[in-house]
Amino acid sequence: MSETLRTVGQSVPPIFGMEKAAGTVRFPADINFPNMLWMKILRSPHAHARIAAVDTSVAEKIPGVAAILTHRDVPKVLFGAYQNEIYPLDEEVRFVGDTVAAVAAEDWNIAEEATRALRVTYDVLPAIQDPEAGVKSDSPNAVLHYPPSEELRPGDIRPDQLGTFGNIIGLREGGPTVANERGDVESGFEQSDVVVERVFRQAQVGAVSHEPRACVAFYENDSCTLWCSVQDPYRLQDGVARVLGLPMEKVRVIATNLGGAFGVKVTGRFAVLCALLARQTGRPVKIWFTREEESLDSHNRSALTHYIKAGAKRDGSLTALKVRTFLDNGYWPYGGLGQNIAFAICTRPIDLYHQCPNVKWEVYVVRTNRPSTGPYRGRADAESHFPIESVMDELADGIQMDPIEFRLKNRLREGDDLCSAPNKVVSTVWVEEAARAGAQAIGWERRSLISSSNQGPQKKGIGMAMVIHSCGSNPAGTSEAEVTIDEMGHISLFSGTADQGSEQQTTLRQMVAEVLSVSLDDVGGSNADTSTCPYDSGPFSSRTVYATGIAASRAAEQAKTKVLEAASLILDEAIDQLVMGNKSIWARSATSKRVTLGELTRLAGGSISGKGIHNGKDDHLFAYGFAAAFAEVEVDVETGRVKILRLVSSHDVGRAINPMIVEGQILGGALQGVGYALCEGFYFDPRTGTALNQWFLDLRTPSILDAPHIEPVIVELGEPTHPFGAKGCSEISYVGVAPAIANAIYHATGARVTELPMTPDVVLKALQDAKRSAP
Amino acid sequence: MESEKLREIALKINGTLHRLSVNTNWTLNDVLRNRLDLTGTKRACDYGGCGSCTVLMDGVDVYSCSILALEAQEKDIQTIEGLGGGENLHPLQSSFALSYAAQCGWCTPGMIMSAKALLDRNPNPSETEVRAALSGVLCRCTGYASIVQAVLDAARVMRGGS
Repeated sequence: MSETLRTVGQSVPPIFGMEKAAGTVRFPADINFPNMLWMKILRSPHAHARIAAVDTSVAEKIPGVAAILTHRDVPKVLFGAYQNEIYPLDEEVRFVGDTVAAVAAEDWNIAEEATRALRVTYDVLPAIQDPEAGVKSDSPNAVLHYPPSEELRPGDIRPDQLGTFGNIIGLREGGPTVANERGDVESGFEQSDVVVERVFRQAQVGAVSHEPRACVAFYENDSCTLWCSVQDPYRLQDGVARVLGLPMEKVRVIATNLGGAFGVKVTGRFAVLCALLARQTGRPVKIWFTREEESLDSHNRSALTHYIKAGAKRDGSLTALKVRTFLDNGYWPYGGLGQNIAFAICTRPIDLYHQCPNVKWEVYVVRTNRPSTGPYRGRADAESHFPIESVMDELADGIQMDPIEFRLKNRLREGDDLCSAPNKVVSTVWVEEAARAGAQAIGWERRSLISSSNQGPQKKGIGMAMVIHSCGSNPAGTSEAEVTIDEMGHISLFSGTADQGSEQQTTLRQMVAEVLSVSLDDVGGSNADTSTCPYDSGPFSSRTVYATGIAASRAAEQAKTKVLEAASLILDEAIDQLVMGNKSIWARSATSKRVTLGELTRLAGGSISGKGIHNGKDDHLFAYGFAAAFAEVEVDVETGRVKILRLVSSHDVGRAINPMIVEGQILGGALQGVGYALCEGFYFDPRTGTALNQWFLDLRTPSILDAPHIEPVIVELGEPTHPFGAKGCSEISYVGVAPAIANAIYHATGARVTELPMTPDVVLKALQDAKRSAP
Repeated sequence: MESEKLREIALKINGTLHRLSVNTNWTLNDVLRNRLDLTGTKRACDYGGCGSCTVLMDGVDVYSCSILALEAQEKDIQTIEGLGGGENLHPLQSSFALSYAAQCGWCTPGMIMSAKALLDRNPNPSETEVRAALSGVLCRCTGYASIVQAVLDAARVMRGGS
C-alpha cells in the first residue's frame, strides 16, 4: 500500500496555518457581539468554607450591573466533566479560588467592581493541604457536602457510588484507591541481587495553555449557542441542557479552535454560568479567564509522592516492584478522573516491564483543598515514569548492566496481556526499535568516555528513559465521523474534535483524501460544532489521529463504496473495473467512459455520504505508543544548575500521516517535559492553601532562551489496527524527559535526584546526599 | 462607570484613525480587542509576562496589555491585521503557516509582530539574534525550533532569496 500513497505521509502545511498566522482564527475569546455583557466570577479566599450568606445589595446598585448569580439563584442540577458531579454553584467552597458567585455587567471593569462589592459571610471549615495527612482517620474531611439523594435525577451518580471514604477515593474503606498486585513481592526481594529503595516527590504542574478559557453564550428562542474553550463540546452541551432544562438539540457548542488545551480544558462551571446569565439577561454574555483563573480553576497534574522499592538479579531480570503512591487529587468532588489516572499509574509501567513477576503497587487518591487535578499531557505516565525510570536506571547501575539492555530484557512484547486494559492484548511494540534509534542519534556509545573525562565542576552525563503511553486505543472513547460529497462534487469531513494546536483536521483530511484519491485541497469540512458534527469524545489521550482517524477513514471508505456502486450503474461497468482519481471515476478499459464526482452525485440524488465510527471497547487488540528519551546534560556541581546539551526524543508512531506535524508535536511535548523536569511547579501556602506562583513570570515555563536542542526521531513500522498504520503521538514525548534528565545527572555525578522540578537547590541537595552516603 | 473616568481619544491603528470613548484604566489591548474587534492581538496574562499581546508602537514591539489606551495616542500602532491577510500575507505570516510554527496560534500574532520589529531593524539576523529578539514572547506548543526557522526563512525571502 505504501508505494501508492499520495497524501498520507506528506508534510503538507496545516490547514489552519494561514488563518493562525494572519490572526483571523476566531478563538472563543475572540467572539464579540454588539450589546454583549461581560461576566466575572467571585472566587473563594478560603481553602474550605460554607457560604453562610451573600449580600448582593451594594453590587446590584452599581450602574451597569445586569445580573448576579449566587448559589441560591441557580438550578440545583448536577452536571460535570466526567460524571454529573457538580452544581453550577455550591454553598460549599473547596479551594482558594473556588467559584462563589458570578456577575454580568456592561463591561469588564464594572463586572469586576461588582464582584468586589459582594459581601460574603463564610463559615470557615478545616482544610486538608497534605494528602498524606489527609488519609489519617482523625483528619477532617476535605469535602463535606455531597449532592443529597433527593436532588438527583435518573442517570446522576448517587453519593454511595462516589466510592469515597474519608478523603480517600476508593472502593473499599481504609484501602487504597487502586492496587495492582501479582506474585509475591517479598519473596521477589529475597531473590534479588540488588534492591533500590527511594522516595520520589513531584510538584503540581499546569498545562498553561496560552489561551485563557473563554465562553460566549448567546440565548435566543429557547436555544443556547456557546463558543467555548472546551475539548469536550458534547459533554458541555449535555451539561448546559441539563442545567437550563433544555432538550439537547436546543444547545449548540462550538469549539473549532482552541489556543492550546493539553487535556485540561474540560467542561466547567464558568460555561454553564455564562449560559444561565445569557438566558437571564437576554443578551450575549462573555467570560474570559485571567491567567490566575486559568492556572487554578483548571485540572493540573497532581502533586505526587511515591515510596518505591525495586529489585533485580545480576542476569538483568527484574524480580520485584513495590510502590505506594499518594496522589493529591485536589478538591474536585468526584474522583472519577483521579481514579482513572491512579489505575493507569499502577498498571502501565507494569505492562511496560511485563516480565517482572512480583508487583504490588497501591495508589491513594486523596482529596485535598487544593485546585483540581486531572488529565494533562502525558496523563498518568508522566506521573509514574519519573520514579520508575529513575529506579530502573539505578538497578541497571547496581548490576552493572547497560540501562537500555536491562530495560529491553524486561519489556512488553507483541501479543502480551495488558493489566492496564483487562482482557486485551497489546498490538505492536516497537519500543526496542525506538530505543536503538534514539541511542544511535544521541551517540550512546560515547557514554563511558564522557563520564570518565569529567574534570572540574562541570560534569557531563547521558541518560535515557523508556516510555509507554496511550496512542488512541481507549475503551472509554467513541469517535464518529461523516464524509459527504455534494452535487458540486465538494467533499467535506465532519468531525467533533476541536483543534487545540495539533492540527488533527489536517491529518484527518489527509486520510480522507487518500481514501477518495483526491488532493488535500479537495477536502473541506468543519469540526467541533455540536450542531453540524457527529459525536466525538474529544481530543484526549492522543486519540484523534488513531480513533477519529479510524472513524474518518471508515466514513470515507463507505462514501467511496457508494460512489463506485453509483458509477457502476452509470457507466455500466463492474465495480472492480472502475478507477477513481482526481474527482472522477472512469472505466479501466476505456478512460473516456468517465463521470465526475459532481455529475455522479447529481445523478445519484444530490448527495452521497459515508459514516464511520470507532469505539475502543470493541477491539481485542490494544495499541500503545512507545518512546525512548535521551538527554545529555552538564551539571555544575557548585551551583546545582543543569544545562541540557542535547535531547533526543525517539518515537514509535506507527506511521507519520504528516511528518511535519508529528515532529512539531514531539518537539513541543518534549519542551513541556523540560519544564516539568527543571523549572515548573505550582506552589501553595501550606497553611492557607493560597497559590503562590500562578503567574507566568514566577511559574517559569521555558522561554525561547531556555529551549535546548531537541532532535525528534520517528520510527515507522506500522500499526495493523489503524487503516494507515498510525499511532497518536502528541503527548508521549513529554513523559520521558524528566527521568532521562535525572538519569543523565546520575550518570554525570552519581547523585540521584528524586524531586521535580529539579531546580538548582534540589540538585545541590541530591549532590550533598550522594557525597554523604558515598563510602 | 462614572463619567469622569471616560476620555475621548484618537488612536491610529494600521493607518486608520479611530475616535472612541475609553475608560482611563483601559489598556491598548482592551481597546483593540473589546472595542475595535481587532482580536488578532491576543492576551494570555495581562501583565507583561507572556508577550502574546505584542504590537508595534512607532515600530517598536511592545506589550499592548501594559500600555494604557491613553498613552497610545499620537503613536503609530500596527497589529497583526495591519501586517497582511488573505491573499497578501507578509513573508513572516507565510513562513509561520507553512512550517507549522503556529501550532495553537495563540502566541503567533505576538511572535510575528516581535519578529517584524527585529527584521525591520536587522534584515539578516543570526539564529542567536532571533532568539534574543523573540525572548519576550512565550510559546507553549512548538518548542520554538520551528519559530526560529520560520523567522530565518522569512528574512531570507524578504532579502530577495528563495
